[in-house]
Amino acid sequence: MRKNETEQETVIRPQLRALVDNVEKVVVGKRREVELSLIAILSGGHVLLEDVPGVGKTMMVRAIAKSLGAEFKRIQFTPDLLPSDVTGVSIYNQKTMEFEFRRGPVMANIVLADEINRTSPKTQAALLEALEEGSVTTDGETRPLDKPFFVMATQNPIEYGGTYPLPEAQLDRFLFKFRIGYPTKAEELDVLRRVEKQHPIESLAPVMALEELLRMQEEVKDVHVADNVKQYIISIVNATRQHHHVYLGGSPRASIALMKAGQAYAYMQERSYVIPDDIKYLASFVLQHRILLNSEAKLSEMESSRIIFDILEQVHIPAENDKAQ
Amino acid sequence: MNVKQRTPAASLTHLIIYLLAFLLLWEWLRPIPVITSTGQIGIFVLFTFAASICVYLHLPVWAGIPLLFAGSMYSLHQLFYAESFFSAAGFMETLRRFTNEIGVNTAMIAGGNFAGLTDYFRSFLLLLLLALISYLLYYWILHTRRVFFFLFCTIVYITVLDTFTLVDASQAVVRIVVIGFFLLTLLHMLRVQDEDRRTSGRTVFSPAWMYTLLVMVTIAVAVAWAAPKPEPQWADPVPAFRSFAGLESSGGGGGTVQRIGYGENDEQLGGGFVQDDGPVLEAVVDEPGYWRGESKDIYTGSGWEAERDYVPAETVNEGGEEAVDFRLFNESASGGRGTAEITMAEETDFNLLFYQGSLVDVPEASAADDAADWGREDLQFYTDVIGGRTVVESPEGESVRLTDYRFEYDTPAYPEDVLRNAGAEDPESVTDRYLQLPDDLPERVVELAEEITAETDNRYDAAKEIEQYFSANGFEYETSDVPVPEEGEDYVDQFLFETQVGYCDNYSTSMAVMLRALDIPTRWVKGFTAGEEVDQTDDGRSVYEVRNSNAHSWVEVYFPEVGWVTFEPTQGFTNYAEFESETETPDVDTDSPDIEPEMPDVPEGDDVNDQLQEGTEEESEDGLFGSGSGSGGGMTPWQLFLISIPPVLLLIYLYRSQKRLQITWYLTAYQRGWLKPTFSQGYRRLEWMLQKEGLQRRNGETIREFGERVDRELHTSAMKDLSAAYEKEVYGGSREGVSWSTYQTQWEKIIRSLLA
Repeated sequence: MRKNETEQETVIRPQLRALVDNVEKVVVGKRREVELSLIAILSGGHVLLEDVPGVGKTMMVRAIAKSLGAEFKRIQFTPDLLPSDVTGVSIYNQKTMEFEFRRGPVMANIVLADEINRTSPKTQAALLEALEEGSVTTDGETRPLDKPFFVMATQNPIEYGGTYPLPEAQLDRFLFKFRIGYPTKAEELDVLRRVEKQHPIESLAPVMALEELLRMQEEVKDVHVADNVKQYIISIVNATRQHHHVYLGGSPRASIALMKAGQAYAYMQERSYVIPDDIKYLASFVLQHRILLNSEAKLSEMESSRIIFDILEQVHIPAENDKAQ
Repeated sequence: MNVKQRTPAASLTHLIIYLLAFLLLWEWLRPIPVITSTGQIGIFVLFTFAASICVYLHLPVWAGIPLLFAGSMYSLHQLFYAESFFSAAGFMETLRRFTNEIGVNTAMIAGGNFAGLTDYFRSFLLLLLLALISYLLYYWILHTRRVFFFLFCTIVYITVLDTFTLVDASQAVVRIVVIGFFLLTLLHMLRVQDEDRRTSGRTVFSPAWMYTLLVMVTIAVAVAWAAPKPEPQWADPVPAFRSFAGLESSGGGGGTVQRIGYGENDEQLGGGFVQDDGPVLEAVVDEPGYWRGESKDIYTGSGWEAERDYVPAETVNEGGEEAVDFRLFNESASGGRGTAEITMAEETDFNLLFYQGSLVDVPEASAADDAADWGREDLQFYTDVIGGRTVVESPEGESVRLTDYRFEYDTPAYPEDVLRNAGAEDPESVTDRYLQLPDDLPERVVELAEEITAETDNRYDAAKEIEQYFSANGFEYETSDVPVPEEGEDYVDQFLFETQVGYCDNYSTSMAVMLRALDIPTRWVKGFTAGEEVDQTDDGRSVYEVRNSNAHSWVEVYFPEVGWVTFEPTQGFTNYAEFESETETPDVDTDSPDIEPEMPDVPEGDDVNDQLQEGTEEESEDGLFGSGSGSGGGMTPWQLFLISIPPVLLLIYLYRSQKRLQITWYLTAYQRGWLKPTFSQGYRRLEWMLQKEGLQRRNGETIREFGERVDRELHTSAMKDLSAAYEKEVYGGSREGVSWSTYQTQWEKIIRSLLA
């Protein structure tokens, strides 16, 4: 992960700032992760969290949902979970003599898919269709999901026994992958204080309407991405394909993801255009789960974030005026 | 600017490198005693060493400057005074002299009289220069880590000196190369270490570096030393360059750059000399003639020495016939009495008289020193009855400089037939003194003399034969490219048999020695030729101007019954003495045609005499020169060197600060509106300037990050705003650009802190 303690807080759009502040009432000291989640939401992407239990993954996602007044569902993935447990199922209603569809937990605005690697690939695939298509298919019928739709999936990195690691194709569907990490001592003390009497999540009130969020998602698409920034994105993704420690580099979908995330990030900062700094900041979150290291790198315990960091140091950033070219 | 990545730590490597650089600087100082009259170079070396230490220790300005100043005072004291520096008197004396000198020399500089700067002041300037150089070296080596240029300059300097002067640099070159190898390698090692430190955070120093270095340098030097070397493939470039370089090799061990003029010391003849047109005297005379200063009688193999026997010219005031106890020739050879009025040039410092013919009396004279003027009655004349040198003393017994005088003399008119029949019965006093020759005079000189005179049967003809031998046998007149005899080589032998190129000293000495070899009493005379006729007085007398370049030497041969007779063996010169005879006047006619082509600047004068005299100027001489610097008008290489330092420093400064100058130019041009950039152009120009100062946007660094870094480095805040604006311009995709004028002041702010 990029260390950005030294960077000053980004200046962000007032409504989004209110949202972040609201979430922070519950989640202590995870502003950056909250912002990243918002970026993902704004650009219509999803997030994969890889972290140990108990660091506040659920709480964060719930707080975001509450702040948006959105419908929140949680799916605890287990080995015996079936696809229909995720998507929903049609049941025969004997009163009405009709099949009636019972919405599965994925049919909500914000979904927490907990320990996604514990379930069978079939069930995983059901979720992934939802992620990619924004719809689910049951009984041969395709049903669109609500908008906005945001999935935060988690994986537990320490218990690998009996898990089904997500295949590359599925990892690719997540916009970001990041960790939350443990709080600092001071933060943890703060956490204890806050939950001493009543958990703050209970009293959290919405600060933004879902319609407002949908409008923002539309506005994000208008953020300008100059050609030289696109070039920069391509250079970075390309470099992951060339890197001598990488077995499989970023796909074009990675480039798209990076650009869309960049747009959302720029939008969040009230800027109408993407700058390379946005890309540089987001690159490791977007790319680290999309590249496969070769055995040499694995042997030397190289991390993909480190490789992306190296690449960012090397890739030239175009700074010539479009008009001048 | 603020990209100083490192403070030169007081590490051993740094110290060693700096010491090596000091050794290199030492190499610059070593040859100086050989090519200039500077003595005691050790003091300069010590001073440089002290200055280097000061610089190395990072003494603060308030301590370093006074310390260096004290050091230079001490050095100057050591150079110019005998007393202890640490006594109160010695110190005060130094201080007093220093302030005096500064005043005097500043005035001279202001007046453009660079040639007049005193030795004291020049030494001071040299010390100043050395202190500056030691700082420069420190900067080059420990800050910029580059020394190749200095090394290159050192090699060029040494090789040039080796080629054009007496300096023998064969050892020096080896030393420089060895030092240079070490310097370059160690500096490279430092740079590698810096790089290491930057990337990996640790310094790798392996002893293998040092061993490899030692071994490689040793092998390289050993191979170079032992390898067979072919003889030089190119001709000696010296003759080609001499003429316009004006450099001189000096008279052997004496170690001075020779300049033409009348000097005291003739013990080491040889080598070329530079022309010096400084005036010596102006004379009103009836006829042109040699200005005789003195003669010398002892030939050493390398030059002439004189035995002197001064007697007070007591009778001179009474104006008697024999007022001066030194007569060149007797009555029979006298062509009549003449008078001459002399005005010595102000720059001169002679305390001896120059006279024509045989001096009879000095009825009027005046002399001066700084304190007083003396008339004729105050002055005491002393005559050297051996060499004919006449000197003057003040009433206090100190020698003084004559300012003007009038003398009477007998003009010579040698009867040729008397000379021919003079016989060889010389008095013992003459043969004792004037037949002296060095024991190791090569036999072939004697043989040559005998060969030349084989067909003559009398002294006069023999002298004539030898006198004309040179021009008849392809000897060349040459002033600049004249070799110095090697150690142990006879001056005459070298000229007669090896070089056959030379000027009056060569010719006159050779003739004198050959005649002595034939047992003909001869002596070597020095003085000036008649000079150039510049004017005529109303009563028909001529005004001659004599310059340093008219210095000359010739020969006097003893004839019983007549006395000393003047001969002129040097090509292109006229014997002014009259030989009365039925025969032709010998040399002029025969010689002059030969010579004219050789005379360098043929004068405006229109008769033969004039031309000859001009020729004389050129040639004059040299045996006679003194040690350079004191007397005259032109500049020595030493002075040229000093004077050329400021322009060279200026050039170096311009070169070094070219970036800064470019930046200043753009700043001014943008401010004044001479150039009207768009915002993008302005920003890119700024990037370019920052790049020149070492601040460059790296790969992977965004515009914004770059801006922040620049702000940090320069302690400004403006670059951030500029970068944000430029970012918008580049990535914003909006149609209208950013206006330059909005950001111009911030742009200037950054450049100012860049220049600060």
